[in-house]
Amino acid sequence: MTAYRIKWLALAATAAISGCTGLVGDNGEQAVNDSVAKSLCVVDTPLRRLTRFEYNNTVRDLLGDTTRPADVLPPEEEVAGFDNQAAALTSSDLLIEQYMKVAEDVSARAVGNLSGLLAGCDPALDGADVCALSFIESFAKRAFRRPVSQSEVQRFRALFDWAMTDPDLGRFEDGIEVVIEAALQSPSFLYRPELGAETPLEGDVVPFTSWEMATKLSYMLWNTMPDAELFAAAEADALRSKEQIAAQASRMLEDDKARDLIRNFHTQWLLLTHIDSVSKDTSTYPSYRPALNSLWKEEIQTFTEHVILEGEGSLETLLTASYTFVNEDLASFYGDDVLETVAGPELRRVDVDPNRRAGFLTSAGLMATQANANQSSPVFRGKFVREQLMCDTLPPPPNDLVIEPPQLDPTKTTKEQFEEIGANAACAGCHNLMNPIGFIFEHYDGIGQWRDQQNGKAIDATGEVIQTDDVDGFYDGAVELAEALANSTQVQECVASQWFRFAYNRTVTADDTCSIDQLNQAFADSGFNIKQLLVALTQTNAFLYRRAVPQEPETTGGAL
Amino acid sequence: MKRINRRAVLKGTIFGGTVVIGLPMLEAMLPAKGAAQANGAPKRIVFWFTANGTRQDLWSPPSNMDLGNHPLHAAMAPFSSKLIFLDGVDQSVAYDSIGDGHQTGMACLLTNAEILPGDLFCEGNCDAGNEKYVGWGGGQSVDQYLAGEIQKDVLTKFKSLELGVQVKSSSVWSRMSYAGPDTPVPPREDPNQNFVDLFSDLDTDPFALRAIQRRRRSILDAVMEDYDQLERRLGFDDKQRLEKHAQSIRDLERRLEVTTTFGEACTTPELELPGGSFEQNDVYPLTGRAQMDMLAMALACDLTRVASLQWSRSVSNVRFSWVPQVLNEGHHGLSHYDDSDPGAQSDLLEINKWYSEQFAYLLGLMDGVQEGDNTLLDNSVVVWVNELGKGNTHTRRDIPFVLAGGCQGYLRTGQHIDFGGEPHGKLLVSLTHAMGKPVDTFGVSQYSQGPLSGLAR
Repeated sequence: MTAYRIKWLALAATAAISGCTGLVGDNGEQAVNDSVAKSLCVVDTPLRRLTRFEYNNTVRDLLGDTTRPADVLPPEEEVAGFDNQAAALTSSDLLIEQYMKVAEDVSARAVGNLSGLLAGCDPALDGADVCALSFIESFAKRAFRRPVSQSEVQRFRALFDWAMTDPDLGRFEDGIEVVIEAALQSPSFLYRPELGAETPLEGDVVPFTSWEMATKLSYMLWNTMPDAELFAAAEADALRSKEQIAAQASRMLEDDKARDLIRNFHTQWLLLTHIDSVSKDTSTYPSYRPALNSLWKEEIQTFTEHVILEGEGSLETLLTASYTFVNEDLASFYGDDVLETVAGPELRRVDVDPNRRAGFLTSAGLMATQANANQSSPVFRGKFVREQLMCDTLPPPPNDLVIEPPQLDPTKTTKEQFEEIGANAACAGCHNLMNPIGFIFEHYDGIGQWRDQQNGKAIDATGEVIQTDDVDGFYDGAVELAEALANSTQVQECVASQWFRFAYNRTVTADDTCSIDQLNQAFADSGFNIKQLLVALTQTNAFLYRRAVPQEPETTGGAL
Repeated sequence: MKRINRRAVLKGTIFGGTVVIGLPMLEAMLPAKGAAQANGAPKRIVFWFTANGTRQDLWSPPSNMDLGNHPLHAAMAPFSSKLIFLDGVDQSVAYDSIGDGHQTGMACLLTNAEILPGDLFCEGNCDAGNEKYVGWGGGQSVDQYLAGEIQKDVLTKFKSLELGVQVKSSSVWSRMSYAGPDTPVPPREDPNQNFVDLFSDLDTDPFALRAIQRRRRSILDAVMEDYDQLERRLGFDDKQRLEKHAQSIRDLERRLEVTTTFGEACTTPELELPGGSFEQNDVYPLTGRAQMDMLAMALACDLTRVASLQWSRSVSNVRFSWVPQVLNEGHHGLSHYDDSDPGAQSDLLEINKWYSEQFAYLLGLMDGVQEGDNTLLDNSVVVWVNELGKGNTHTRRDIPFVLAGGCQGYLRTGQHIDFGGEPHGKLLVSLTHAMGKPVDTFGVSQYSQGPLSGLAR
């Protein structure tokens, strides 16, 4: 809740200044604004920096640069698995240095296609000045995702002119190159300032301008800059009503660019971000090879993308479908679980044994990442279900407790070994919340392959789920558990709140209650359809409005 | 003269795969030789991080400091007269701080400050109503403090140099360096990019280099106006966020025209780069080796005087698949077995022995650089830090600190001292004294009342 505390401190500081100088408002007015904002569930919209993923997509759409240049930037700060949380994204000297170098590389590549950039203007025929100016005006508007001011145009113009006179530059394309280079380092490109329209709706609650809304929609649903149609709608100021916004959202979800969103979200939510560096013990798992890692990820991404964008689209299908996507290699990895013959390197849809596999929950990628190098991990798997699917927060082990994972005992099953942990009173309080859920997944070994036996003993995949809203009970195997999770209100609300965090780039706060209610209601009304949930995310007050940026009083110094 | 895109040329070669690069130094680039040496070589400090504690039962050196048969540190034997082993130094502040064992061990390590409250990183204990989340570290780290002070005397090309080996994610578990409270400093993790960033100036035509600097300055000047303009329209939190960014641009501008001061040994290093696979588990040794080679040369070239090399991160689960004796389980997993488990203990011995060998490799590089009568190592202090004492208890007491190099005779090397439970904040204070930028306390003053006694001559 730090963000909140800081916000209130800031307001208190503003009030203190005004109290001393008598320059602005009064506390009564502030209180009215607070209650209006609270009753409407409207909070501040934080300034957001583009993630590497968004940067890559944006230069692809802005300049046709498909080299993923931002991959060299330092990694985003990860908060509970998500890399796009505005409050956590910090800047550093290294980041700023690399922004400069990435901008140099991107702009150098961009002027390789000069005529494409100039859109018909020919410096030789139309004059260098004319072409430079028209480029600056059109490019800056797209790069900044809003109309640019005369002073901004002049600034770029001055830079262009400087390049034309520099002894080491001097060519027309050099001037264009430095303009692009500067634009890519501007905060108007690197950040998304969404400050709201000038006229308040009520109190200090303001809607967004159509330009801001175009950008909000675009980064939320496509993880990239607006397309021509969104820009046109912004130009026409046609992104003001809920209906206009919903219509755009529905259109956007039919576009191929929505695939990025689905893949990006599920990679992060299902904790697959680091799956590429998973490394397994080949003496325990002879069928493991590193090339499987990327196939596992591709399977889950393709499956979730298909279910949501082309398939039936419900949360239930994601959790329980008895089909998946494999290629020949992956089919042979899954063995009998895949009920069809698959040839070739392309992933394609196949039916799987419904008694063994259920949606993404039992996919090899998920089972392998939530496991150790040489054995399954009931702890990791139980923790995954608790935290990612049920939104519970599990505490870490207490200070200075000797934590001893079971040794590999060739006479016992993993479950038998982990049950000994549960018997230890110091651990039981927390581990009874995780381990029994993990036991339900014991048919899947440390690389996610099905097993009926371990160390000569039959697998026992029963476990008791406790302390949940509506999933408590005994389960035998993950297929049974998946069915229960799919119909759990706790899970449905958790999924909605995970999407809220990912889409809005921030945590859910106490002031978001009515927006969360709006979202849960819409999700339920749609039969828990994810695509409808995404449209609903554009209809909440938390998305549509913000609190106006408090105008700082013109302090004359010494107020504090 | 037209601009040469030196970086593009280098990248084309490097990203093609493993390649050995050794470029002749251009005579034209040499400034008046030995400018730094004339006034004596500078002091340098390097922080070296490894994770998950150590084998505390084996860690101490013998009383005669002969490491030749030491189970962990045999590789460091050639340098034993230049080492100090510190027993009994605790991260006391970590026990006051919110956060779990690894979080506090990491965030307090170089800051001696408690973790900030926040809603970023999951933490808590089994009782309802307690803090469940924490923020970033709560203070400036000692490396960043020293870097800031040193820059008041001399502007080096890099204020400080943070290198990482497969640190990967960014969180309170993986950052030890902080520019200030709530401001983690990320390490450079890609050796290929690192090579370009550190050494491309060395073999760029000086006229072309000046043109690049002039161009960057013009662009950054123009960009700065955008920051000023936007900042005026933002609320409190956002303004602070953007101001940090703007400050980094100003700092970058200031450094643009700093040219490398060559020591005698300074040249583009010859090294093996791992190419695109630098983040793969099994490439860990090669990535680390490349980073060490570049670190030593960066110091020899006086590109910076403050550096760190962070191997993985707290909770590191690197699998030491290249050490034949080690079971195929990750480091963190192994660190949690009971002390009585022979297999895991043997594995932890091998892992920490391997890190000692890497430490010795870096010391060897630094000791091989002659600077007047001293070596680079003699002019430096390399500080081996760890977020924990031992993995299975998460204890942050008796952290296995080692100092290497005398920092130009300031430190009384060749000894082993048991401090019997002194707070590690005092070690951080000692390091500020060693570097000639002394403070009375660092971070939480209760745990940093003056330097540790017995370290200085």
